Amino acid sequence: MKKVGIVAGSISRFDNPRHTLAEEMCAEAVKMILDDMPDLELGDFIRKGYACCYSYFSDILEQQQCMHWIIHDYLGLSAVPAYRVESGGATPIDAIVNAALWIRSGMFPVVLVVGWEKMNELPIQKVNEAIAIAGDTDWDFVSGFTYNAFYATMEARRMHVYGDTEEDLAEVAVLNHNNSLDNPYAQWPAQHGFSKITVEDVYKSRLISWPYRRYECAMTSEGASALLLANEEMTKKLTDNPVWISGVGFGTDTMRAGDRPDNPAWKGLYPEDEKVWPKNIPKPMSPYPDLLNFGSLRVSARMAYKDAGIKNPKKEISFVEIFDPYAGVVLAGLEDFDFCKRGEGKKMVRDGVIQRHGELPCQLSGALTAQGHAVGSTSIAQVVDSYWQLSNQIGKKWGAPSRQLSKPKKAFIHGHGGTGCQAGAVVLEV
Amino acid sequence: MKQPGSEKMIKQSPYDEKWWEEWERKGGWRPEGWKIVEMNDGPTLNDLKPEKFLVVHRPHGSMFHHSYGKVSQFFIGLLEGKLYGTKCPKCGLVYCPPRAHCFNPKCRLAETKWVELPKKGEVHSYTIMAIAWPSMAHLQPLVGAMIRIDGTNTCLPMTMRDVDPEKVNIGLKVRIDIAKDPKGDLLDVYATPAEEPVAPKRTPEELKRFREDMEKTRAWVKKTFGTK
Ligand SMILES: [Zn+2]
Repeated sequence: MKKVGIVAGSISRFDNPRHTLAEEMCAEAVKMILDDMPDLELGDFIRKGYACCYSYFSDILEQQQCMHWIIHDYLGLSAVPAYRVESGGATPIDAIVNAALWIRSGMFPVVLVVGWEKMNELPIQKVNEAIAIAGDTDWDFVSGFTYNAFYATMEARRMHVYGDTEEDLAEVAVLNHNNSLDNPYAQWPAQHGFSKITVEDVYKSRLISWPYRRYECAMTSEGASALLLANEEMTKKLTDNPVWISGVGFGTDTMRAGDRPDNPAWKGLYPEDEKVWPKNIPKPMSPYPDLLNFGSLRVSARMAYKDAGIKNPKKEISFVEIFDPYAGVVLAGLEDFDFCKRGEGKKMVRDGVIQRHGELPCQLSGALTAQGHAVGSTSIAQVVDSYWQLSNQIGKKWGAPSRQLSKPKKAFIHGHGGTGCQAGAVVLEV
Repeated sequence: MKQPGSEKMIKQSPYDEKWWEEWERKGGWRPEGWKIVEMNDGPTLNDLKPEKFLVVHRPHGSMFHHSYGKVSQFFIGLLEGKLYGTKCPKCGLVYCPPRAHCFNPKCRLAETKWVELPKKGEVHSYTIMAIAWPSMAHLQPLVGAMIRIDGTNTCLPMTMRDVDPEKVNIGLKVRIDIAKDPKGDLLDVYATPAEEPVAPKRTPEELKRFREDMEKTRAWVKKTFGTK
């Protein structure tokens, strides 16, 4: 297996508005990588056969198609091979997965991944609309539902079938927000200061779409981030503190969440999950994932584990970053990623397993509700944060040595788009 | 071979094409105004400095002429007050949203047949929107539900009327209504309870919070739109 290494990573912070142009935020991020790597010359990219992979979600938010051409040009990389990856919220994780596969193919020794989003140009209802039209515009979007509402129906069903509670959701929000307070790239402290929040604060935040409240939903953000990936030989040449992408995975589910309960494509795929069903509730034809879990997350995670040779994810993985546009995705994700049985995600939250000092720390960055969600940058930034953890750089990069975990070995980072229509995942290890 | 020929008009609703043409010409990117703002910025919270930005207010918009393709019958049905789905002749799955081709992998994209559906169904899941689309904000708190229409293998998202948000629950039997003045999209369809709803279990704290949320939402609607 051809190994892929992370040589460097950077973030230009999440906030809203940033007013700084997308290409300028990307330049800030790439400049940080150049500052870390005095021997890296952008001028060598074309001569040495390197490539670039760009990640941004929406052409509509800035009314600009092919924004990556602007970015690529602005970085002074014209002539260098470059592609854009786009898959809604899954865009940034898919960009990393793609870049890793390009390197594994042997085609490119080094790939620079750059992601960003600008989300402040349109009024907020139009931003919501631009995001919502990643849903089916004939059958989802025009029902009057925003994404908030779709995810809310999924969580309401989890409450009914599994017994998730409002408190479980609020606990996830508290974890995210308090984890973000030392993160100098996070939007929550940039806007709200550096004090801890409690479950009561979450309850006081306004209702968005029951059961979801403001603090349980992703922020809309602007920001950029970058990762420099390389094959094994170049990684060892470029850094003496590498982190390896030892596994990648990706998966999909139906475009419309409503098509999932009886979907014949899923029937019998995960028989052990189909058995987990309360007696008093009518069982759909395809009980997994129904509207309860995210099948695409399961497919991508198991692929990444297999790729990385992971047999027992909960034991082998040191910490996790879940892509959580809504708090309930953490509860579902813990199940879909095989950290617990179906329906038991809430138990891991209640038992403190995912707390900073727990057995499986999750959302150390603050994730989407607190670090922020500049779509094309989101998962790249979560991977960068995780890369800094694994390479023992949190003290330097965050200016918060207390937040450095002691000798973490492996990290799992996932991303997804739509209502789980597409998902990707990576396993990192030192 | 044969040429497909040009489209033949069957029926048409009133539609003021001129107004949109005019508007599309106006929405031609030239700024309607601008502002100069100063803000602290920088790549990290440890590295901020004041910057000056010019922000222009730039319009853009258009009218799309969208065909519903081979599932047009569903929307033609709505215009006639009827509910249609499609059924696969091979595996028998019934789709609403309809599909012109069956997505059961075993059926090798078999072409489906139209079936008229009963106007009743059941709540598969639900939410109470305290922030709905701007055009529906006056209806907040607005119940949205994934409705499984009787006899179908899918759920159709729709809003609910005449239901107490506190009482809506999974499993509730509903009647499906089609708007009297259908416009030709999914918002023409909505659900109302067909039985006495039984509220989901809530703890006293949850119930208190829920009621406060509903009150706040209604107060906002009243303040914004006046009394209904
Ligand atoms: Zn079929």
